Amino acid sequence: MGHNRPFFSLLAWAVLFIAAVPVGTSVFVLGAVLGDSPCVLCWAQRTGMILVALMGLFVLRYGPRPRYLGLSVLLGAWGVYMGIRHSAAHVVRDIGQGFSVELFGAHTYVWSTFVFWCCLAAMGLLLVLLRDGEATRTDRRWNPFERLAGWVFLVVVAANALQAFASTGPPPYMGQSDPVRFSVNPRHWVWSTEEWAPAPISWRGRWAIPKPDPATLAESAPRPPSAAPPLRAVRAGRIGGTLHGPVSDLAFDHASRRFLVTTGHGVYLFDSALSGVERGTVVDPGFSIDLDRVGGAAFLDAQTVIAMARNKSYVILREALEADPARAARNFRFFLASHDAFDEVARGRVATVRARMQYVHAVAYDPAGQSLYTVGIPNATVPRLVVSRFDRRDLTLSEEFVPEIADGLAGALPAGDRPLSTLAVTGLAWDGGRLFAVSAAHRLLLTIDVRLRTITAAHALTDVQVAAGLASTGAELVVAEPDGRVVYLPRPAEAVAAAQR
Amino acid sequence: MEFLNLLLIFGAAWLVVRRPHRERLAFALAVTSCVLMGLLFFIGTRTSVLPGLNY
Repeated sequence: MGHNRPFFSLLAWAVLFIAAVPVGTSVFVLGAVLGDSPCVLCWAQRTGMILVALMGLFVLRYGPRPRYLGLSVLLGAWGVYMGIRHSAAHVVRDIGQGFSVELFGAHTYVWSTFVFWCCLAAMGLLLVLLRDGEATRTDRRWNPFERLAGWVFLVVVAANALQAFASTGPPPYMGQSDPVRFSVNPRHWVWSTEEWAPAPISWRGRWAIPKPDPATLAESAPRPPSAAPPLRAVRAGRIGGTLHGPVSDLAFDHASRRFLVTTGHGVYLFDSALSGVERGTVVDPGFSIDLDRVGGAAFLDAQTVIAMARNKSYVILREALEADPARAARNFRFFLASHDAFDEVARGRVATVRARMQYVHAVAYDPAGQSLYTVGIPNATVPRLVVSRFDRRDLTLSEEFVPEIADGLAGALPAGDRPLSTLAVTGLAWDGGRLFAVSAAHRLLLTIDVRLRTITAAHALTDVQVAAGLASTGAELVVAEPDGRVVYLPRPAEAVAAAQR
Repeated sequence: MEFLNLLLIFGAAWLVVRRPHRERLAFALAVTSCVLMGLLFFIGTRTSVLPGLNY
C-alpha cells in the first residue's frame, strides 16, 4: 500500500485544495475581507466540504479503509443534495439575482454543488487508482507534503470555528436564514435561535399545491353565501353522446351555433342542442409538452379551438374539413383516437406572474380584443384570485389583475378577510365585454368587468351541484357538470330586469 | 451549533495529525459531526425537504 504513491499524492493535493480554495477562500476572503456571513444552509455546505477533506486525512493516515471511502461518498452525495436544495430557492429567479456573494458569475451556493460534484468525481478517480487488496487499514507515516496538508486543514478549520463563533454563537444558537454582515466587532454579532422555532415538516412545502377538481372544490364549500341573490335555472338537460371521462368545460361559437365540450383529454364539437357529437378526438397528453387534464376550452374561430390544461399548457386544434387520406397517419402522434377529425395547430404553455403557482380550470376568448382569459385557482401559497389576459397572437401574458369588489357586493361573496381566496373558478365565458365566471366552491356566478377590473355581480347557483364549465349562447348561460348534466341560466342582467318587472 | 460542529472536526483532525493512535475516537468525532451537519441542514430546510422547483 505504501508504494501506491500516485494515490496518496493525489489525495494530499485534494485535501489541500479543498481546505485552501473553497473553504479557505470562504473564510479568509469572503468572510474576513468581504464581510460575507454564511446562512444556516451555507454553513452546512461548508462543513460538508470540510468533512470530505477530513475523510481524506483519515485515508492519508490510516489507509483507504472501506468506512472512510464509504463515508466520503455519502458526504459527496449529501453535499450535491444540499447544493441543489439550497440553489433551488434562487436559481429560478431572473438573470443575476441571488443571495449574498456572486463569484465568477455564480453565487456561492451554486458553486457548492459543483465542488461536491467534483469531490465525487475525484473520489471515483482515486478509487480507480487503488489496486486490488489495498482497501485495508495501513498505518502510514506522513511525508512533508502530507503534513502540510494536515496543518493547513487545521488552520482553516480553526479560522472557520472562529467565524462560526462570531456569526452563529455557541450552542444552542445556530446559523440564521438571513444573517447580518460578518464583523470581528462583538457589538455587531447576532446570535439567534430562530431556526429552532417549531415549523411543519413537509416534502415540497409551498410547492405542494393540489390540482383542482370541480367535485372536490364543490365539496369544500357546498353552500353559496346566504346574501347572494339566486339565479334559478330556466331548464336543464344532458349532454348526449359518449365522452371519454367527466366533462371539464364547454364553450359556444355564435357563428356556427355549436358547442365545444372537453373532458380530461377529449375535445368534442356538438350541435346547438348538445344532442350528439359532430366531431371529436382524444389528445395525446404525453407527446411533447405535458398536457395535464384539460380544464378550460374556447373557440378561437368557427373551426379553431383551444383546450387549456390545468397546468396552463394548451393545445390548439383546427377542424380537418378537407379529405386527406394521409391525415390519419400524419396525426397519429397527436391523438389517441379519431386521428382525422382535427389537425393540431400548436401546443405550448402560457406563463403568468401574479398567478404563478396557481392551476387554472377555465379559459375564455374575447374575439374583438383577440385576448384569452384565465382565472387562477387560489391556494395556500398564492391565496388570491387572479385574472390573466393573454394576447391571442403570441399567447403571451398581457395583463393580470386581482379584481376589486363593487360597492355593496361584499355580502354576496364568502365571508372573511380574503373573500375571493376561497373561490375556485372552473368555468369562464366572455360575453358583451364581460367575463362570466362560475366558481365550483360556493356555487357562485361572478360577473367581472375587465375594463374596471371589478366584480360587479355575484349570484348563487342554487340549481347547480358541481360547476365544471360555462358557456354563453348570448341568450343564456349554460353550466356543465362533470356527469354531463347541463343547466341553462338567464343572463344575470336579464334576470335582474325580469325581477324588477 | 456550527461552532460546536467545527470544534468536533478540529478535534478529530487534531487526533489524526498529532495522536494517530486515537483512530477510533477521531472517527467517532467525525461521524458525530456528519450527523450534526445533516441535522442542521434538515432543520433549516424541514418546511420543504425537496428542492422548491417545478417537478
